[in-house]
Amino acid sequence: MGSFVLRKVGAALIVLFLSSILVFLGVRALPGDPAIALGGENRDPAVLAQIRHDYGLDRPVPIQYVHWIGHALRGDLGTDSRGLSVAHTIVVKLPITLELASLSVLLGVLIGIPVGIISAVRRGKLSDYTSTTTALVALSVPHFWLGLMMILVFAVNLHWLPAGDYVSVSHPLQNLRHMLMPAIVLGTGLAAVLARQMRSAMLESLGTDYIRTARAKGLSEWSVVCKHALRNSLITVTTVIGLQLGALISGAVITEAIFSIAGFGRLTVESIQQRDYALIQGIVLVAASGYVLVNLAVDLAYSFLNPRIRVAGSRA
Amino acid sequence: MSYVELATVNPRAGRRRLLRKRLLRRPLAVAGLVVALAFAILAVFANQIAPYSYRATDFNAILVHHSSKHLLGTDPLGHDIWSQIVFGARASMEAGVLSTLLALAIAVPIGLVAGYYRGWIDPVIARLTDVLLAFPFLILAVGLAAILGASLRNAILALGIGAVPGLIRIARGEALALREEDYVRAAIANGARDTTILFRHILPNMMSTLIVQATVTIPLAIIGEAVLSFLGLGVQPPATSWGVQLNAAQDYLTEAPRLAVYPGVAIVIASLAFNLLGDGLRDVLDPRTQR
Amino acid sequence: MSTTTRVRSALGAVVAIALTLALVAVATASTGQRSSVAAPAAGQTLTIGLAEEPDALDPTLARTFVGRIVFLSFCEKLYDINAKLDIVPQLAASLPKVSGDGKTVTIKLRKGIKFNDGTPFNAAAVKTSLERHKGLAKSARASELTPLDSVTTAGSSTVVLHLSAPFAPLTSLLADRSGMILSPQALNGGGAFASNPVCVGPFSFVSRTAGDRIVFKKSSLYYAKSKVKLAGIVYRIINEPSAMAANLRSHDIDVADRLASTNLPAIKRDSSLSVIKATTLGYQGLTINIGNKTGLRNPYSNVGTPLAKHRGLREALELSLDRKVINKVVFGGTVLPDCSPVSPVQKFWRDPKLKCPGRNIARAKQLVAQSGERTPIAIKVMIATDTVAARLGQVIQSEAQDAGFNVQLVPTEFTTSLNRADAGQFDVFAVGFSGRVDPDGTNYGFVHTGGSLNDSGYSSARVDRLMDAARTNTNAKKRRALYNQAFAIVLQDRPLIYLYHPQNFTGVSKKVKGVRVYGDGLIRAAFASK
Repeated sequence: MGSFVLRKVGAALIVLFLSSILVFLGVRALPGDPAIALGGENRDPAVLAQIRHDYGLDRPVPIQYVHWIGHALRGDLGTDSRGLSVAHTIVVKLPITLELASLSVLLGVLIGIPVGIISAVRRGKLSDYTSTTTALVALSVPHFWLGLMMILVFAVNLHWLPAGDYVSVSHPLQNLRHMLMPAIVLGTGLAAVLARQMRSAMLESLGTDYIRTARAKGLSEWSVVCKHALRNSLITVTTVIGLQLGALISGAVITEAIFSIAGFGRLTVESIQQRDYALIQGIVLVAASGYVLVNLAVDLAYSFLNPRIRVAGSRA
Repeated sequence: MSYVELATVNPRAGRRRLLRKRLLRRPLAVAGLVVALAFAILAVFANQIAPYSYRATDFNAILVHHSSKHLLGTDPLGHDIWSQIVFGARASMEAGVLSTLLALAIAVPIGLVAGYYRGWIDPVIARLTDVLLAFPFLILAVGLAAILGASLRNAILALGIGAVPGLIRIARGEALALREEDYVRAAIANGARDTTILFRHILPNMMSTLIVQATVTIPLAIIGEAVLSFLGLGVQPPATSWGVQLNAAQDYLTEAPRLAVYPGVAIVIASLAFNLLGDGLRDVLDPRTQR
Repeated sequence: MSTTTRVRSALGAVVAIALTLALVAVATASTGQRSSVAAPAAGQTLTIGLAEEPDALDPTLARTFVGRIVFLSFCEKLYDINAKLDIVPQLAASLPKVSGDGKTVTIKLRKGIKFNDGTPFNAAAVKTSLERHKGLAKSARASELTPLDSVTTAGSSTVVLHLSAPFAPLTSLLADRSGMILSPQALNGGGAFASNPVCVGPFSFVSRTAGDRIVFKKSSLYYAKSKVKLAGIVYRIINEPSAMAANLRSHDIDVADRLASTNLPAIKRDSSLSVIKATTLGYQGLTINIGNKTGLRNPYSNVGTPLAKHRGLREALELSLDRKVINKVVFGGTVLPDCSPVSPVQKFWRDPKLKCPGRNIARAKQLVAQSGERTPIAIKVMIATDTVAARLGQVIQSEAQDAGFNVQLVPTEFTTSLNRADAGQFDVFAVGFSGRVDPDGTNYGFVHTGGSLNDSGYSSARVDRLMDAARTNTNAKKRRALYNQAFAIVLQDRPLIYLYHPQNFTGVSKKVKGVRVYGDGLIRAAFASK
């Protein structure tokens, strides 16, 4: 037991370490002198040299790395080019993107699951045909284009919904109004995948012997569908979401750009474009760490539930 | 990259004639095939099909609505929009097909090695794949574009690399499963060399899964290229792609929304075509799903 | 799908959602607190959308144009400009008195006013600030203030500046960031000044969220607080022009900074909005690399490209471009085409005899043939990466082609492009400058030999003499004559081809009164009302 945990934690630490080095070197591979980025219109060489010194950019790279990672482990990710704390900026912005992702997931589930169930139950009929085709079309639509079209129709022409910006959750109604279109944009693709997966999972299980027996025994069609719908939903939803979380974050970047939401995704793109080293490093480190740690937690938790995995050892 | 669906395909699928017949019985898949081919033709013969060069500007005819000289009108610099769409098809198809091929070329060998040999190399590959996966695809693409510069070629590179981890997992899973098949075990017992087994038994039987996966990855890459160009990280003007056109259309969203509609619709139709085709292929190659 | 993966995914999803809720709770707890304690009354808060994010809110370190807009609300300066671009006293009591030799400048200060932390504004505070602007290690003002030797006080409301040489542009510099006076108490309290900046001003700083907003509330200590009608100002950062326009139309913001030309028609049709047009002091054009071979700090030597070798080719390039077409196609008619760095709003400095050449392809082709270079002549033009720059690049490409130039566009991200420009790694660079009230500030660094912004590597002994003389001469009319002579030479040599002056279009909700935009392009809303 102990050795298993140790091995898993060790693996996670290795990945974290490699990721942090990749981030660090990747950021330094960006062309363009960051001192100039921090310099604005003024390119006086004495000022630039001073900037380099203040940000430690004139020290050897390994030393810069050690310095950075040492502080990072203590929760200090440094300050960005505006003099604001990187850690604070991330803590403020990350929940916004996570909220967007969660709302999108919610929408995707609320739309995708029922559609998938209905099209499985009414297989071959018109409603099945239309829903599967709609799902496929939804998968083929670039979400940023969908966003642009929605802004055009609902914000610019109809004035029903705001064109963007984020209102804090402390004003829940306004917050939801602003998040509605972005969540729809991001959630559509997820809904489509869920609908398709749900449908095929339902079809598979509805065709099994177990069901035939249940029907033969006289159980109502409704209870058969319900029981199976419930069970398949949970499995399908969690599977798909688990796989799509990364894609969701990627999609959030564009959605945030179009709807002018100052979230984590957009922060990342802007910081890269502005060569804000400290910010880029902090952001990507947090994102990578989050992913790795969640996976680790899940691995460990699962091993407690199923001792057989511990013995087998290797990843499935 | 976006939604990757795993295909479960029986490696002992039927012969080609049977496949073609089954495919042809699915009108949607056929439609997808026809449209995809149409786009491919547009892409290859763009110079012949498009009435104007993609660089032909006309400053006296900017933002024209449909006219006899311009089927879909002109854009803010006087380019003929229909010609732009045709040349955009070329960039998008290049991005879609080449990046998918690149990803397959990298991922399949790695996945094969990991799934077939296992041992110590499997966990190492798994760790490295994890590191790659820990970076959201778009961040990777932005970073690559910033380091290597923005161009179609680098966008293809970024898209290809982004698709690699997912494809490694699929290839690995297939290799793992195929390894346990009777005929493979028999071959091993008979003392066949590794390379023979890999190339004669395992790889050919992965083909159907890989083909389906490739067909489904192409539209993702097309959309991915549009995203990158939309962010200014892919194709650079005066070269054009649908993403570039969408990016330029943003400024005119209220004045001339049609500038955003045309390339968007083109992307939707092209992606839909490949998705329909991929769906059809998946159904055809997997006898388990009865439709 | 194996059970393992399913359960793992399930747990993963649960953990992720739990984390989300936790973080959302944390974030809203912290931000909620702050906003309920310090936010100004919503009904009278003006929301201004800014097109970019300011850098540090520290006048000594600040380098962005948009930062200057924010400073206007909370950090007054010794001098300011009025609508006619004349310099008027703000924290000073009157215009400066310059000694006979031009090296001593005496400034009388306003009496009885306080910084927004309650400490008194006096000569000692001014001295501290000016010395900081000049001497702080990372100061972005130091190079502007090179002639400033020292500052002394004469009593509590008079400062004396001692210069190493006469320096005519000094007052105009004191009407910008170099003249902003910071509270000594805020400077001494630990931590960066920018994280909690305090000056004399109609509003005081409340909070700042990166990439999002900067919040100010009305100051109760301001010496003219009766003129301040708003309870607070919030600056929101909205980078995308379409989002800016959309937010203005939906009235989520009251004032929109620098609307994109493509959004103007819709905004003009909206009867609840008005647009303020202001021609700026700045210019945009093409910088041609003539002598910057290895970096602009190193000695110049001709880079050997066709454009660098032949002055006639530079003229040909200019003659192949139609400024009116550029205005129409790229900017929808919203910029002011021009061939001089002096903006028409500067009525005093503008040379009334200046006439801009129109497009002349025949002459351009002639010049190209005369140069003896083989056509098409390949030139690389470095442009920005936004859509407007893409349009401009393509128009230049199209038009220059007619004269025999083969233009290749090199879209380059901003900081990288500045890097390359400084290092001399470019042929032509499409870039501009935001402009200063004094022509010295707008031009000296670009065309003087060894100028800190002379990416072109241009050197003309005559121009150097004229600009140095204009810098030290305190007679405005004489200075004007000197600049006119200098510009005449520059316009012939064409290290820069000036294309247009940007015009700033500021969108304002009709519910708001009193917002002004002068030729410097900055939004002045301190005394507005809603």
